[in-house]
Amino acid sequence: MEARVLKPILGVYCAAFILFLYGPMIILAILSFQGAGGGPQFPIIEWSTYWYQHLLGMTPPSRISRLPIGDSLLRSLTLAMMTTVVSTTLGVITAQGFRTRFKASGAVFYLVILGMIVPGVLVGLGMALLSNMLGIDRSWWGTAFVLHVVYTFPFAFLVMLAIFNRFDRSVEEASLSLGVSPVQTFRRVTFPMIFPGVLSAMLFSFTLSYDEFSRTLFTSGRELTLPLTIYGTFSVEIYPNIFAFGVLTTLFSFTLLLVYALLMLRAVRAGRSFKGQEEAV
Amino acid sequence: MEFAGEQMQSAAQAQGGQNGVSPAEHRARQERRNALMLISPGVVWMALFMVLPMVMVIYVSFWTQTTFTVEPTLTTDSWVRFLTSSTYLASAWTTVRIWAIVLAATLVIGYPVALFIGLMVRNQTLQTALLVICIIPFWTSFLIRVIAWRPMLGTEGAINMILMKLGIVDTPLTTLLFSELAVLIGMTQIYCVFMVGPITFMLSRIDPSVIEAARDLGAGFGRIFFKIILPLSLPGVIVGAIFVSVMVLGEFATAASLSGRKVNLLGNIIVSQVGSLKWAFASVAGVILTIIIAAVITVLLRVVNLRKET
Repeated sequence: MEARVLKPILGVYCAAFILFLYGPMIILAILSFQGAGGGPQFPIIEWSTYWYQHLLGMTPPSRISRLPIGDSLLRSLTLAMMTTVVSTTLGVITAQGFRTRFKASGAVFYLVILGMIVPGVLVGLGMALLSNMLGIDRSWWGTAFVLHVVYTFPFAFLVMLAIFNRFDRSVEEASLSLGVSPVQTFRRVTFPMIFPGVLSAMLFSFTLSYDEFSRTLFTSGRELTLPLTIYGTFSVEIYPNIFAFGVLTTLFSFTLLLVYALLMLRAVRAGRSFKGQEEAV
Repeated sequence: MEFAGEQMQSAAQAQGGQNGVSPAEHRARQERRNALMLISPGVVWMALFMVLPMVMVIYVSFWTQTTFTVEPTLTTDSWVRFLTSSTYLASAWTTVRIWAIVLAATLVIGYPVALFIGLMVRNQTLQTALLVICIIPFWTSFLIRVIAWRPMLGTEGAINMILMKLGIVDTPLTTLLFSELAVLIGMTQIYCVFMVGPITFMLSRIDPSVIEAARDLGAGFGRIFFKIILPLSLPGVIVGAIFVSVMVLGEFATAASLSGRKVNLLGNIIVSQVGSLKWAFASVAGVILTIIIAAVITVLLRVVNLRKET
């Protein structure tokens, strides 16, 4: 009885919650179409794409300086790709190692998981201190990069661990006992089976690194990454050009998500047709 | 007889190789060696780039701070300075207070959402769709989500505009932005997802027949909730609470952007001290932050034994 009353109430509440989650982004998106003379708030004096052009340097020079995103965007993308490759590789081989029971596996598990738990500001500080003591210059491709991997590797590891847990070992063993070399077995048998997991690990690593900021703050040295550039605008007055940037970077993230979904769908379909063949035989 | 015994012994030796181990054991050893080889790169990476930096923070917190640099002469000066300064103790207190409020807010706001998605919606597709809708904002830039609250909360912001139009207030509220309230609202919105996700997961695993049985036996919704739903969802609550706690305690960007420098968390202290090259002092704040986080996680894990539950 009560559930019948409760369900619609909770449904409305849930809708309100979704509005709470999306509201600020929607307002930000609307305000990004503010006219040239308008401020970062309502009313919209004139609908235009002025701030998008401003962002891309297509407007005549004005009082408001351009967001220096060009170089930092390139750096962030490179860094995210480096991080993706290394943390996914580490995630796969570490999870592969976890398929055999060994002593201290609990300790190793927690050591890896700690990477996603430790606040970025703390490891960032520690890494800055360490590089100071050792006399190593801080850089986005060095000190910041290793911390990005510390952060994303646990995600990749957890995803791969979940995949290996549901993994049918006998297929691999069949391949090995038929005389296929371990390397070939991994390439032709194991890898296709774990591919959806690898894809998820890559998506996690890329997105988290691309957006990572607290770990980069103390460790990137003079050359800034994209989130650091955005953080630089926090202290000064904000203009709608940062809203325009927010819309573009959100669209970029969504594109990534879409590509992931499409690849995933293909992998699932391929898996299904493979099973179908087996049954037919 | 003696001869036969010797023969058997030698046969066993030949089978097990030089060490006298059985083939199965030999293979297990080989596998263990392979496993250790596979996990070592990850372990080395974490030891070098996570454990070592953290040890460094503790170590440097005892170094001597000069105007622009730190000397490796051990002293407790920075510790004494931190623990006797009311400003810094106040920031530690602010950190704990904001953590407690945000944690409570994410739980109170998030639980009903999880209840709806995980328990009330029985259509699998709709359930997944709703969860994905809640998680999607997590994929967008954290800093942009923080900045998005500025045009919402400002004196000329969207909320004030709506409130004025509706005639609820005559003059715009000035306490919305650049205040502690703004930080609390921002953090609650940003971190709520991490509470909703794990609770929804636990709730969706509850067998509906258990609830049905309770209802058939005459239990009201309140009784069902407190006796069945809440205890079964507790591991989700704890996991969510750990996520939210760790992220809120290590925060500084939201406070820097939305409080107008009025709220100084330990994270903000670290950032400003590093900015003025006070490394030893930043390290003390870092160690204190670590202690607080460790204490919070320990207490949360005491509530529920996660290993036993999953």
